[in-house]
Amino acid sequence: MEIIILRKTIEYIKKLDSTTPLWVKVLVPLIGVGGLTTLAIISILLAGLMNAWLGQPLPVLGFEQTFDQPINFPHTKHAGPIEDGGLGMDCTYCHRTVAKASSAHIPAVELCASCHRAVGSYESEDLTQLRVNSGIYEDKENNQVIVDSEMASPINWRRVHRLPDHVRFVHSAHINYLSNNPSAIENVPDHINIEGLDAVPASQVCSTCHGDVANMEKVYQVEPLKMGQCVNCHRKNGGPTDCAACHH
Amino acid sequence: MVTEDKRSWGMVIDTDKCNGCSGCVTACQVENNIPLNDQNKFERGRVMSWIRIERYWEGEFPDVKARFIPILCQHCANAPCEPVCPVYATYHNDEGLNIQVYNRCVGTRYCANGCPYIVRFFNYWEPAWPEDLRNHLNPDVTIRSRGIMEKCSFCIQRIKRGSRKAKEENRELQDGEIKPACQEACSTNAIVFGDLNDPNSEVSKLSKSESDRKYTLMPQLNTDPNVVYLATIDPLKYKDLGEKAKSNEH
Repeated sequence: MEIIILRKTIEYIKKLDSTTPLWVKVLVPLIGVGGLTTLAIISILLAGLMNAWLGQPLPVLGFEQTFDQPINFPHTKHAGPIEDGGLGMDCTYCHRTVAKASSAHIPAVELCASCHRAVGSYESEDLTQLRVNSGIYEDKENNQVIVDSEMASPINWRRVHRLPDHVRFVHSAHINYLSNNPSAIENVPDHINIEGLDAVPASQVCSTCHGDVANMEKVYQVEPLKMGQCVNCHRKNGGPTDCAACHH
Repeated sequence: MVTEDKRSWGMVIDTDKCNGCSGCVTACQVENNIPLNDQNKFERGRVMSWIRIERYWEGEFPDVKARFIPILCQHCANAPCEPVCPVYATYHNDEGLNIQVYNRCVGTRYCANGCPYIVRFFNYWEPAWPEDLRNHLNPDVTIRSRGIMEKCSFCIQRIKRGSRKAKEENRELQDGEIKPACQEACSTNAIVFGDLNDPNSEVSKLSKSESDRKYTLMPQLNTDPNVVYLATIDPLKYKDLGEKAKSNEH
């Protein structure tokens, strides 16, 4: 498109002779260049709008890749199925409040450390960092265990799934509904079979919004998590569609 | 149309019990993340308080009496604020609440101009709190940004929490289980909140009683408020009664 406009403009300029008035000589190239710039701006804007509309980074130029966490936490190792080398841990072991409260808490360092003081490689950088953050760690040089509460600090995890500030999403209500109505669960991973069950444990409904987290090396957002998705699911399953149900 | 099984939230305020302590105002401020009112806001007349206590003086000195009326959003059934909104940001839901949808609001302020009770507040500034108070904000309530309207929601976050809890425990919602922040803070129990459609609730007993103390604010406007007031008892009216009782004792 731009090339055609440019070519046409150049052709037009070549045709001009001395009888052409001066304002045409000035204006036509200007319009040509202006048109090009406008087109470029519009296409950039359109790309941005498309990106915003889809709500997820487009899978081009590496935009879809998620970011690094301060400590690499492989969900595959912890929650992944045992056949694939994971531990098959329940989601609710760490995200303990998910079925009871509005938010699914990120566990405290203490919970990680309760296993990892003993379990896991002592060579791994991530685990060493975790032990330092828990306040009890091993000093290899002097070969002694240091208990230093000054070093204990929470890990600054980066949030992956974020809703806008004017939305109140309550995990417990959704988890309880879905675990009692398994037919409404979507994105069921291959290694979980919930066909024909009346009720499933809380840890098997997460995939509806979060995808198959157990098989993610780094967690990324699977669903757009936009209002359209919420409302569609609420209409399908008879949830409230009153604005004040979520916006207050 | 409100069906029978639907709730209709309402409030009864006994002005005879109100002693004007402003506990409800403070509680509301804390519960609903309302920005602090400083001198600048008072001077400009842009104070935000979803519930306020209006004070009236009655009589001449030395027989002067202070009268207090807590005023909050009346959640009118015929709300004058609702039809004027061009973006449908304020509407009536099926639980009898007048809802303000913050993310829809574009800040035309028509609703505030239409409200006869002056209980709608416009955010002229981006809300700000002192650093110490940042972690005291209520996570269940949206922080309203600059340029949008806000008002009393009857503590809808508490209504939702209460209904959710009852649903999870598979039982009916009890009367008096849900208390807005103002009722919880009221030192004299002047505020009663509940379901007006439930004939056994305390609020419907009080609001449907034949008492001559019962009144609503500005009834001539036919707004049909969900907040009912009980008038102050005039001690002079019952003066003879008291003296009779005294003479009976002797």
